[in-house]
Amino acid sequence: MREQFEIVGMLPAPHTPIEKKRKWYQGKPVFRTILLVLIVTGCFACDLVMTKEPTYLDLNHFNSAPNREFLFGTDTMGRDIFSMIWYGGRTSLVIGIVATAISTAMGIIFGALSGSMPDWMDKVLMRLTEILLSVPGLLLVVLLQAVLGKANVLSISFVIGITGWMSIGKVVRTEVKGLGNKEYVIASKCMGGGFFHILGKHLTPNIVSSVMFMVIMNVRNAIMAESALSFMGLGLPVEEISWGSMLSLSQNALLTNSWWIILIPGSFLLVTLMCVTSLGNSLRKKINQKDSNL
Amino acid sequence: MVMKSGGFYYGKKLLLFLFSIFLLSAVIFFISRLAPGDPLVSYYGDHAERMSPEERQWAEEKLGLTDSLPVQYVHWLERALQGDFGISYKYKRDVTEVIGERMGNTLILGGIGFCLIFGLALALGIFCAWREESLADRVICKIGTVTSCIPEFWMSLLLILIFAMNLKWLPSSGAYTLGGTRDLEDRIRHLILPLTAVIMGHLWYYAYMIRNKILEEARADYVLFARSKGLKKSSIVLKHCLRNVLPTYLSLMAISLPHILGGTYIIEMVFSYPGIGTLAYESARYKDYNLLMVLSILSGITVILCSIVAEIINERMNPCIRGNHIVEDTEVAER
Repeated sequence: MREQFEIVGMLPAPHTPIEKKRKWYQGKPVFRTILLVLIVTGCFACDLVMTKEPTYLDLNHFNSAPNREFLFGTDTMGRDIFSMIWYGGRTSLVIGIVATAISTAMGIIFGALSGSMPDWMDKVLMRLTEILLSVPGLLLVVLLQAVLGKANVLSISFVIGITGWMSIGKVVRTEVKGLGNKEYVIASKCMGGGFFHILGKHLTPNIVSSVMFMVIMNVRNAIMAESALSFMGLGLPVEEISWGSMLSLSQNALLTNSWWIILIPGSFLLVTLMCVTSLGNSLRKKINQKDSNL
Repeated sequence: MVMKSGGFYYGKKLLLFLFSIFLLSAVIFFISRLAPGDPLVSYYGDHAERMSPEERQWAEEKLGLTDSLPVQYVHWLERALQGDFGISYKYKRDVTEVIGERMGNTLILGGIGFCLIFGLALALGIFCAWREESLADRVICKIGTVTSCIPEFWMSLLLILIFAMNLKWLPSSGAYTLGGTRDLEDRIRHLILPLTAVIMGHLWYYAYMIRNKILEEARADYVLFARSKGLKKSSIVLKHCLRNVLPTYLSLMAISLPHILGGTYIIEMVFSYPGIGTLAYESARYKDYNLLMVLSILSGITVILCSIVAEIINERMNPCIRGNHIVEDTEVAER
C-alpha cells in the first residue's frame, strides 16, 4: 500500500546512530572499585601483607616517623602502623558488615510488618519506633558495655546495628505498601503462605534493588560509627586494633605533633568510606537524565 | 478534606508531643535503671558508701528504691516535674545546675553552625543547579562528596593539626584562653575551628539535596512554559523552582537540627569545648548514670520536638502531604 502514495514534501529522516559508542568502563567507578577491592583483600589477607607483628610493643622505636623499617611509622605505644592498618582494617570492615547485616534484617522485617498492617497500626508502629530511636545511642552503648563487660567486635556491631536500621525500615515499608495489594501476594496469602514465606519468596526479590543502596550506605555509616565510638574510647579498647581505636591515640599524637599517627589511619578510613559511597551512588538510578527546561 | 480549625490541630500535636516525651522518659528511665551501679550513689554521692545499714534502709525507702520499677518511675516523674533530677555523681551538684552552665556554649556553637549551614547550603545548592554540569559545578560536587565522607572527629583533628599545631594561627581547645581576658575576640577565635568542623561535616549533604531538587524542578513542564513566556532564568529559579523546593528543605532542616546539635558532641570533645557534648562524653566515661540519663532525655526531647515541627511545616506549607490519602484515592479511582 505504502509504495503507491508519495507524501509531498516529506523529508526522509537522516539515519543517525541513537547512542554514542561508550566503552564498557565509562560511567562506572572502575578506579574506586579496584581501590576498594585492593583495600578489602589487603585487610582480609593481612597475614601476607604485614611486615611486623601488629600487637608487638616495640619500646625502642615508639613514636618514630615513617622510615624504611617502619613504612608508616610507629604509634605512641611503639606498634608498627603499616601492619596495624591492615590488621585493624579487617576488624573495622567486619564490624561494618556484621552491623549492616543486623540492621538490614531488622529493617526488612520491621518494614514488611509495618507496611502490610492496617493503616492505624502502621502509624502507631512508626510513632513508637520514632520515639525509641530518639533514645541517644550513647546511652545504649554505655549500658551495653556495662552489661556485656569489655566491648568486643560483636557487641559493638550489635549496638551499631540496632541503632541504624530505621532508614532501611522506612524504605522497605514504602515499597511493601505499594506491593501489598498485588494479586500474587493475595494469592499466596489465600493459599496459606505465612508472613515470612511471603516476605522471603515474594516481597524481598521485589525490593532488593531499592534497598541495596541503603544497605551499602549502612556499611559506610557503621564503619564511621565504629571509628567514632572507638576514637572516643567508648568502643573498642586501644589493645583491640581497628581504624577507630588507632585514632584514639591521636590526642597524645597531637601533643608531640606526630602527624602520621593521625593522618595515615584516617586516610585509609576516608578512602574506604569514599569508595563505598561512590559504589552506592552508582547503584542508584540516575534521576537527572532528562534535559533541563531552563 | 475539610480543614480543621487551628486550635484543634495544634492541640492534637501538643498531646502527641507530651505523650511521646512521657514514653521516651519511661524508656530511658528503665534502661538506665537496668545499668549496674547503685542508684543511691547517684543521689548521695560518696556519702552513700559510708552509710550505716539503717541509714541505707531509710534512704532507700525515702527514695522509694524498695518499690517496683513502675512505682519508682512515677515517683521520679513527680520529682522531675518539680525540677529535681537528683545530683551528678561526678560533680556533686544538682544535675540541672551542671547542665545549665554548659547549655549556652553548645547552643552558641550549634546555633551559629546551624544557621550558617542553612544559608550556605541554600546558596551553594542554587549556584550548582544554576551552572549544572559546568566545570565549577563538577569541581564543587567532587569536593563536596569528599568532605561529606570525612568523619567529623578526623576533620577536627586535621584542623587542629594544621591550624593550631603547625601554623599556630588559632587556639586548639576550650572556649576562652586560660587566665586571659574573657572578651569577645578571644571567644570568636576559639569558635572558628569547631565551627568549621561542624559546617564542613554537614554542608554538602544539604547543598546537594537543594541542587538535585532544583534540577528535578527544572525538568518540569511549568518551567518550559515560564521559559516560553519569556521569563528570565533568575526569576524562574528563585521565584518558581525555589518555592517548590523550600517546604521540603525547611522540614528537612527541622529534622536535622538535633542531628547537627548531636554532631557537635564529638567535635566539642575533640576541642575540649565546655558544652553538653563534652559533658555527655564525660558522664559516659565516668559512669555518671544520672547525668547521662537527664542528658539523654534532653536530647530525645529535642529530637521529638523537631520532628513534630517538621511535620507541622510539611502539613501547613504543602497541602499535597496534608491530603495525602485523598490523592492516593483519586489515583486508584482513575486507574
